[in-house]
Amino acid sequence: MANSIMASSKPLISLSSSTQPTRVNLPKSIKLPQIPKPISSSSSSSLSSKALSFSSATVKSLALIAALAPPSMAEAMEKAQLFDFNLTLPIIVVEFLFLMFALDKVYYSPLGNFMDKRDGEIKEKLASVKDTSAEVKELDEQAAAVMRAARAEIAAALNKMKKETQVEVEEQLAVGRKKVEAELQEALASLEKQKEETIKALDSQIAALSEDIVKKVLPS
Amino acid sequence: MNILSCSINTLIKEGLYEISGVEVGQHFYWQIGGFQVHAQVLITSWVVIAILLGSAALSVRNPQTIPTGGQNFFEFVLEFIRDVSQTQIGEEYGPWVPFIGTLFLFIFVSNWSGALLPWKIIQLPQGELAAPTNDINTTVALALLTSVAYFYAGLSKKGLGYFSKYIQPTPILLPINILEDFTKPLSLSFRLFGNILADELVVVVLVSLVPLVVPIPVMFLGLFTSGIQALIFATLAAAYIGESMEGHH
Repeated sequence: MANSIMASSKPLISLSSSTQPTRVNLPKSIKLPQIPKPISSSSSSSLSSKALSFSSATVKSLALIAALAPPSMAEAMEKAQLFDFNLTLPIIVVEFLFLMFALDKVYYSPLGNFMDKRDGEIKEKLASVKDTSAEVKELDEQAAAVMRAARAEIAAALNKMKKETQVEVEEQLAVGRKKVEAELQEALASLEKQKEETIKALDSQIAALSEDIVKKVLPS
Repeated sequence: MNILSCSINTLIKEGLYEISGVEVGQHFYWQIGGFQVHAQVLITSWVVIAILLGSAALSVRNPQTIPTGGQNFFEFVLEFIRDVSQTQIGEEYGPWVPFIGTLFLFIFVSNWSGALLPWKIIQLPQGELAAPTNDINTTVALALLTSVAYFYAGLSKKGLGYFSKYIQPTPILLPINILEDFTKPLSLSFRLFGNILADELVVVVLVSLVPLVVPIPVMFLGLFTSGIQALIFATLAAAYIGESMEGHH
């Protein structure tokens, strides 16, 4: 393989497609004497017969030639060209350009546009979803405001009611107190009266008693 | 001793050559108007083109909003190609997607067809069917197209001002900058050609030596390398295009 790669004697880059193929002429220049295969293979492969291969000069030279150009390779090498530029190159260019435009028509453009459109739609939908969320927030705030207002109203009503009841209670309390006081006064007054009466009665009795005492003490 | 080794060497070469039947640099020639073409390359490239167009047309024929099966796969591939182009070229990658994508797909399917399709069943009078990318004509064609593409990209973006990049950052680098225009296609084409040819040769030789089990890891390695080479070719082409389009100050 290494041989074949090296043996392709064409210059690496010759873009001019030459009409006549340049043959590799290394194998042709060395014409091999046709040796019967069994002999050559046995002489080279059987390592045990060292003496034979070393002694015979003919085998030596044959082996040397064979090393330079193996016979079966030689025929194959005639057309073997690794760097063989010809009309294939422009044809591939044309084919590639055709493939590019065809794929653009059936694949890149349609599918790309489709994907872009879908992306746009999804983004739009997402954006609209975001908008509704703002709406929801607004409604939420409204609800909160309504709740706050209701709470404030209730609290006000409660306060008012509390005040009213308090006033009423105080009034009743005052009335009760007055009544109690009046009764107390009355009771006190009657008590005083009784006291005075009792004192008066006592006074009269005291006079009689003192007369009695005086009568008793002072024998008349 | 020298003679011995020589003759053993010959035997091995001869034997190997005959056993494995590796046909390096053998071509099946057609004559077209006095010019010669490598028929095996053209035949396999037609098959590759047919596979690509057929599968793409079949899967993308009626795109669904929720993709399934083939459409899903092709959408993934398109996303991948767009991603590669965008990374290398930048924001103006849109018009270059077909070129980069076709480079990638053509090379990828070619390489894998060489490894997966049983081409050897079809006998040719001379040479053998193999991946189109193991012929130097194909790789050089693709590399030259890449060169044309990045020149076109630069010239259409910046007009004649494109050539000012040759004397930047200093005019001393002029020869090296000019040389780059030759080394780019050369390295692109030879990298692909060498990798694919070597890969196929290694597999063939291993199969001829040990027909069972042993070549399988090498075959998988070959598939891997083939994919990587397609990606490298497409990425480098995109990088060259992006480089020639980017602004200089």
